[in-house]
Amino acid sequence: MLISNLEILPNSRIVRHIGLVQGSSVRSKHVGRDIMASFKNIFGGELQGYTELLHESREEATERLIEQAKSVGANAVINVRYSTSSIAAGAAEIFVYGTAVELEPA
Amino acid sequence: MRYENQQPAEGINVTKVNPAIQFLKFLVAAIVLVVLVVIVLQFVGGSLAKRVPFKYEKQLTEKFDFSVLGTDSDAKERNPALESEMRSYLNDLARRVAPGMDLPDGMSVTVHYNEENVFNAFATIGGNLVFYKALLTKMPHENALAMVMAHEIAHIKHRDPIVGLGGGVASMMAVSMLTGSSGLAERFLTQTTLVTSMQFTRDMETAADKAALGAVNKLYGHVNGAGSLFEVMGSIKSDNDAVPDWLERFARTHPLSQDRVNAVRTLAIENEWRETGELTPLPDGFQDWLSAVQ
Amino acid sequence: MIELGFFVVFLACGFIFGQRAEKRHFKSIVKRESQSLSLPVVASKYPPDDQPYKQILVSGNVVVASDYFKSFTAGLINIFGGRVTPFESLLDRGRREAILRMKSAAQSHDASYVFNVKLETSRIVTGRAGAIEVLAYGTALVSTEPLTSNRTISSSATSPSAT
Repeated sequence: MLISNLEILPNSRIVRHIGLVQGSSVRSKHVGRDIMASFKNIFGGELQGYTELLHESREEATERLIEQAKSVGANAVINVRYSTSSIAAGAAEIFVYGTAVELEPA
Repeated sequence: MRYENQQPAEGINVTKVNPAIQFLKFLVAAIVLVVLVVIVLQFVGGSLAKRVPFKYEKQLTEKFDFSVLGTDSDAKERNPALESEMRSYLNDLARRVAPGMDLPDGMSVTVHYNEENVFNAFATIGGNLVFYKALLTKMPHENALAMVMAHEIAHIKHRDPIVGLGGGVASMMAVSMLTGSSGLAERFLTQTTLVTSMQFTRDMETAADKAALGAVNKLYGHVNGAGSLFEVMGSIKSDNDAVPDWLERFARTHPLSQDRVNAVRTLAIENEWRETGELTPLPDGFQDWLSAVQ
Repeated sequence: MIELGFFVVFLACGFIFGQRAEKRHFKSIVKRESQSLSLPVVASKYPPDDQPYKQILVSGNVVVASDYFKSFTAGLINIFGGRVTPFESLLDRGRREAILRMKSAAQSHDASYVFNVKLETSRIVTGRAGAIEVLAYGTALVSTEPLTSNRTISSSATSPSAT
């Protein structure tokens, strides 16, 4: 499955636009990480726990996007956009959406 | 090129869970976590606090006037003469009770009289005891008052106020760190902390009752009347009939009054303390001292 | 004691009404989605160039509140970490509802497509429980030529600049 945030894919032709597909994931880290992060906030620097959290969430959201694209019979998702929002203290939502398309077989 | 929309399969972005089971699982896990943290920190915080020398405790509270704690002193006319009579009588009683309690060296108690209409007496850090007016008005005889006095002195002897403070502060801080980000659940888990901490307090109360009864026996030669305060308390607190006994037993700092009456009886039998004997009346003028403030 | 009573009542209300509302909402979303499949919603920026279209910016928004039960469970999950499933369904509902509302706005203009669809999610704090707002917006393309019910365009290029 091709995932791209390009609109136009070089050397390939889109046969069919199947519409919007989306993936989302809301996750939180255990409280130990939250406490470490609050300490880190005193000194500054990277909050590795949260970097990890958002990375994991983004992967899960992308997987879900791919699953949706598969279920509508697409073989690529183009024009993909990510967005992040804080839903509750310590929990973040990652949302990814794009256009599911069918590419001409190479 | 064709543009069309197709319905993606359901349930990709929503994890399938049974919300009720998920809720129960996490609730039990959170309660277990909080209870464990409280037990550990009550113990650690308490034993650290016990290492604070008594004289620092005393210095800390020296300047504090417990007799006006919670009182709106401007609103009432106070009668300093009668008040000081009451105070000196209470302190005198404390001095009579104390020898039976084997207080460690350097430990002393100061009794304060507070005119608020609160049915309570408590011991706090620095060896300070506070007796409220409403409690004193319910005293049938000196034996009952001596029991309360000995009970509070026992708390000082066991260093319960500072242990409770240390353990309480440590566990409250830890739990609020744990649950700080849990939004709505925080309140509930804080309550769990309080109830768990109360179990510790209750053990202290039982130990204090035990030590107090021994002191009363030494003072009067018998334990008659020592339990009568709890009987009085039982009759006062019975307005809360809607709450079942087991729940009240679980959620209260002090053991239930009826349980305490029974415990006193058992203790007396075990130690072969006399349960009959002449009751000592309260001193003349006790009622006048009480009515110092209208 | 009274506090515990309130807590149980709120929790039960949240569970019973919240779960029921969620089931109903999902049912209605699925039904309306299948009814509005004929209007393609596309995230692409390049509209088809087969015929002139009138462009109208359309949007749909919705604010969905979390219930007491959801917020409480989410709080508990937050201590241990992992998927915050009570909010997953809340966000999914919000997003799909916003898209549906945007679609119905486009349909009211007799649009043939909605292009360059974008979604915004934000958290609206009302006390300790929360609510989310989802905004979906895009450009509705309304055919200026009458009777173009055929939505299959035989174009050779994916976009104007692709050729």
